[in-house]
Amino acid sequence: MGEMEQMKKEAEALKTQIEAARKAAHDTDMASAASGVAPAPRVQLKTRRTLKGHLAKIYAMHWCTDNRLMVSASQDGKLLIWDSHTGNKVNAVPLKSSWVMTCAYAPSGNLVASGGLDNMCTVYNLKTPVIKTVKELDAHTGYLSCARFLSDTEILTSSGDTTCVLWDLETGKQKTVFLNHVGDCMCLSLSPDMNSFVSGACDSLAKLWDIRDGQCKQTFQGHTSDINAISFYPSGNAIITGSDDCTCKMYDIRADQEVISYQDAALNSGVTSLDLSASGRLIFAGYDDFNCNIWDSLKGEKVGVLSGHDNRVSCTGVPGDGMCVCTGSWDSFLKIWN
Amino acid sequence: MDELDETQLKNHVDSLKQQLQFNREKTSVSLPELTKWIEEKMNEDPFLNPDILKDNPWVESSKCVII
Repeated sequence: MGEMEQMKKEAEALKTQIEAARKAAHDTDMASAASGVAPAPRVQLKTRRTLKGHLAKIYAMHWCTDNRLMVSASQDGKLLIWDSHTGNKVNAVPLKSSWVMTCAYAPSGNLVASGGLDNMCTVYNLKTPVIKTVKELDAHTGYLSCARFLSDTEILTSSGDTTCVLWDLETGKQKTVFLNHVGDCMCLSLSPDMNSFVSGACDSLAKLWDIRDGQCKQTFQGHTSDINAISFYPSGNAIITGSDDCTCKMYDIRADQEVISYQDAALNSGVTSLDLSASGRLIFAGYDDFNCNIWDSLKGEKVGVLSGHDNRVSCTGVPGDGMCVCTGSWDSFLKIWN
Repeated sequence: MDELDETQLKNHVDSLKQQLQFNREKTSVSLPELTKWIEEKMNEDPFLNPDILKDNPWVESSKCVII
């Protein structure tokens, strides 16, 4: 048997062993564990602001840590910084490439980043008298699907080239390349303690990585199509994923397996984006069918819907203080709800 | 796996060996703890505790005055 054949067999055998280990750890399910918990109440939210200003589809948004400012990215070729309280635009950043797919706000509020089909992550300083490009991170060989700042000196990116990368913003060079996915990486989420992150990809897998040693520690399977959205639970012990297979799933990190699936026979649109309420009890998931559905994360039941967009909901974000949820859409508007 | 070359396949196998070693917690331990964590935090969750949203930055807290 050739070397390659040998290794493929070994890989299959290891996967079987991992599944057996998971089964052995599965001595109760979420329905039983959460049986004593009252179902979440029906959630009916009002649109508090509709932010108008983009001239084309919105692809991404991200809250600033001040819970008030946010950045949005549109294929009209602009990043807009909004004051969500007043609805005013604070800044407009013209992009070299209008094919933007992601944007991010640094925790300090000093920097924002964007990237997309240009395969680059561009970082801008918002605090200089005129907004300046401070770095163009150019090493991915595929589109930039997601970027998240760890600080003003480090940023994580995920790419259509199947890798994730940790960059040093002072040198503009790659510090660590995370290799393990076999499909385009579509999304990433940092753990609350910033020591690890999870990525979702078109290989229908979610992976947990150690930021410092670059290793893939765990692989979560179950989805049957691209994972477009991913988020760590605020506790750091679970993740939620959203997929083109029209479901969201919760994976328990400590038990290394899927524990609940959020799905509905009537729902046959892919999940584009998601975020969690402050306690993690509610999942806000944006879908291709123009709605954002609200799920009770412990019971697996739908408890509300945010309807109001005239096109696909492409991005969803809850600020750090959990006071509202923002949805962004291909209809070019952002809405703030609570 | 078919698209991987020899080095990539070797790395893939090594990674799977590492991932197998992970010390899995039983769900009878992890799920109740997760549930408990969420329940404790629900009091501080603006979507689940209406008292927090009494001070809603997106809603006018006083009536408009014509000047």
